[in-house]
Amino acid sequence: MSQKQENTTPLHNGIVRIGFIPLIDCAPFVIAKEKGFFDAESVDVVLSKEASWASIRDKVAFNVLDGAHMLASMPIAATLGIGTMKKAMQTSFTVSHNGNGITIGNALYDQLQNYSDSAADIRTGLALKKLIDNRDEQSTPLRFAIVYPYSSHNYQLRDWLSRVGINPDEDVQITVVPPVKMLDALKSGEIDGYCVGEPWNSLAVEQGVGHMLVTGYEIWGSTPEKVFGVNSLWAEQNELAHLAVIRALEKACAWVDEAENQTELLEILSHPDYLNCTVEQLVYGFSAIKPKGQFDWPMEAYQRFSGSEINKPLPSYALWIMAQMHRWQQLEEVPSLNEVAEQVYRKDLYYKALGLDVEKDDSWRLSSSSESNWLEAVSTGSVSLHPEGILKGFSE
Amino acid sequence: MSAPPEKELTVMLVDNEPARAAIVEQAMTDSGYRVIRRLENAKNLTEAVNQYQPDMVIIDIESPDRDILENMSRLTQDNPRPIVMFAEEDDSRHVEAAIRAGVSAYVVDGVNSGSVKALLQVAIARFREFHALRSELETVKSQLEDRKLIDKAKGLIMKHQQCDEPAAYKALRKLAMDRSQRMTDVARNIISVMELMGGAK
Repeated sequence: MSQKQENTTPLHNGIVRIGFIPLIDCAPFVIAKEKGFFDAESVDVVLSKEASWASIRDKVAFNVLDGAHMLASMPIAATLGIGTMKKAMQTSFTVSHNGNGITIGNALYDQLQNYSDSAADIRTGLALKKLIDNRDEQSTPLRFAIVYPYSSHNYQLRDWLSRVGINPDEDVQITVVPPVKMLDALKSGEIDGYCVGEPWNSLAVEQGVGHMLVTGYEIWGSTPEKVFGVNSLWAEQNELAHLAVIRALEKACAWVDEAENQTELLEILSHPDYLNCTVEQLVYGFSAIKPKGQFDWPMEAYQRFSGSEINKPLPSYALWIMAQMHRWQQLEEVPSLNEVAEQVYRKDLYYKALGLDVEKDDSWRLSSSSESNWLEAVSTGSVSLHPEGILKGFSE
Repeated sequence: MSAPPEKELTVMLVDNEPARAAIVEQAMTDSGYRVIRRLENAKNLTEAVNQYQPDMVIIDIESPDRDILENMSRLTQDNPRPIVMFAEEDDSRHVEAAIRAGVSAYVVDGVNSGSVKALLQVAIARFREFHALRSELETVKSQLEDRKLIDKAKGLIMKHQQCDEPAAYKALRKLAMDRSQRMTDVARNIISVMELMGGAK
C-alpha cells in the first residue's frame, strides 16, 4: 500500500482518500477496507497512514485527503480556525467512545505514598496536589503528556487535575508526546505521567513502569473519542460517496465489537500497513481482559465502537468541546454555539446514510439565554457532564 | 561574510532525511537566511526551540513529531515566543503549495510575513527538487530491473529456439504487441513459464 502522497495532486474519480493514525481506534476504517464493507457499498476507498494529527488536519484541509480518522474535537478546531487556518470540516459518524486513561510513572507513584492516607487519595489526585504544594518552587515542574493539544486527552487531564485544585498551566507542565513514544518517555523519566488511549495505559501496568490512576470514563462518563471527519466542501460535492462510507463504517464498527472476530481483527491490525506491531500489544485495546493487579477498569470505561448510541453524531458534544477550548484559553468566543455545533456535527447525514427516520430532536440546543453564558458556565464548573456521559446530557 | 540586516530571520530545520536537510540548509544560507539548528529527530525539540529561539521552524510534513510543535503555542510559561502553524488567511495558496511539497512551517507571531513567504518558497523548491531526484533515481532503478528481465528472457528464448539475439528480441517484441502487454511483463511471463518447466537454468 502506498502511504505517501507527496507532491501528487490526483484528480480522484470516485476514489475517496481517507487518512488514519495507526492507533487501535482506526480499526473500523481498516476493517471496512479489509473485510469488504467499502466494496459492498461500491465506494472506492484508499487508506493513507499518517504520522501526526497535524498532518491529518492539513491534508484534509487542503484536499490531499477527503476525510480521516479524527479526534472528535478536530473538525470543530478546524472549522473555528483554532491553532490552524480556518477550514470547514464536519462529521456525521462517531467511530468510538471512551478508552482513555491517566497513568503515572513509578517514581512519582512512590513519592505520592508520602502524601496519602489511602489509595483513594492517589486515585483522585489529592496526594498529587499535596505533593505539588510541598515541592520546592525551584524544582522542575512535573510533566504530563498528552497526544495533541485539541483532544479529549488534554481536556480530561486538565479537568482531572483542576478538580483537586491543581492548575494545569502553572502547577505542572503539559507536553505532547506521540502515543507510540509514551511508554519510553515514561520509562526514561522524560515525563511523569500521561493521559492517552489504550493499549498504552495497560502496557505501562503490565510492564511495571507505571500505575494507572483513572479512566476517561470516570472523569467524563461515556463520550465520543474518534470520528470520521471530512472536508465540508468535499462532503457537499460528494454526498453519495460520503453516505456510502458512513454505511460501510457502521457495519465495520459492529464487526469490530463482535467478540468472535477478535483474533482476526488483531491479526489484520498488527500488519505493517496498519499498526505494525505484535498481536500481543493490541490485546488490551479490545478485550475486557486487562493486566492483573493495581487497577480495575469499570466495564463502562472500555472503548466502544458500535450501536446508534455510539455512532450517532452528538451536537451536544460539540457544545461541550467548545466550552473546554474556552476553559483552557484556546477559544475566546463563538458567535453562535448552536450554529457551529449543528454545522460541524451533522446528524441529518447520519440518518440519511442509514435510511433512518430523521429524529426531530433539538433538545441539545441551548436556549438563547444559556447560549450567551455557556462557555463561562462550563469553564467555571456550574455546568458539568452527567456522570454517565454526554448521552445523558449535562447537570447543573 | 555579510548578512543583510533585513533577512535576519532565523530558522530551525527538523528533518529525518539528512540529505534533504542539507540541500534546504544550503539553499537558505545562499539566500541569506540563518539556519541556526538542524535536527534529525525531535528528541528534545521543545528544549531546542526554547534554547535557540528560532523565528521559524520548518519540519517535514510526514514527521510524527509535528504534534509536539502544535502544543508549543500553549507553553507560555517557558516559551514566551508563541509558535503557531503558519496560518494567515490570505496565504492559503502558500500553505497549500507547502503541504503538497511536504513542508510544514511554524512561525513566531509577529515575524515579517514577506520574509516568511520567501523562506517558505526556498524550502518548497528544495523539497520538490529532492522529491524529483528521488523519483528519478527510482525510475532509473526500475529501468535497470526491466533491462535485466528482458535480457534474461531473451537468453532463454535464444537457448530454447536456438536463435540469435536479434531474432529473440523480435520474438519477444511480437509477443508483447500481440498481447498488448509491456515487454517487461512478457519477459516476466516467459521467465516464470520456463522456470516452471525447469528450463530457466
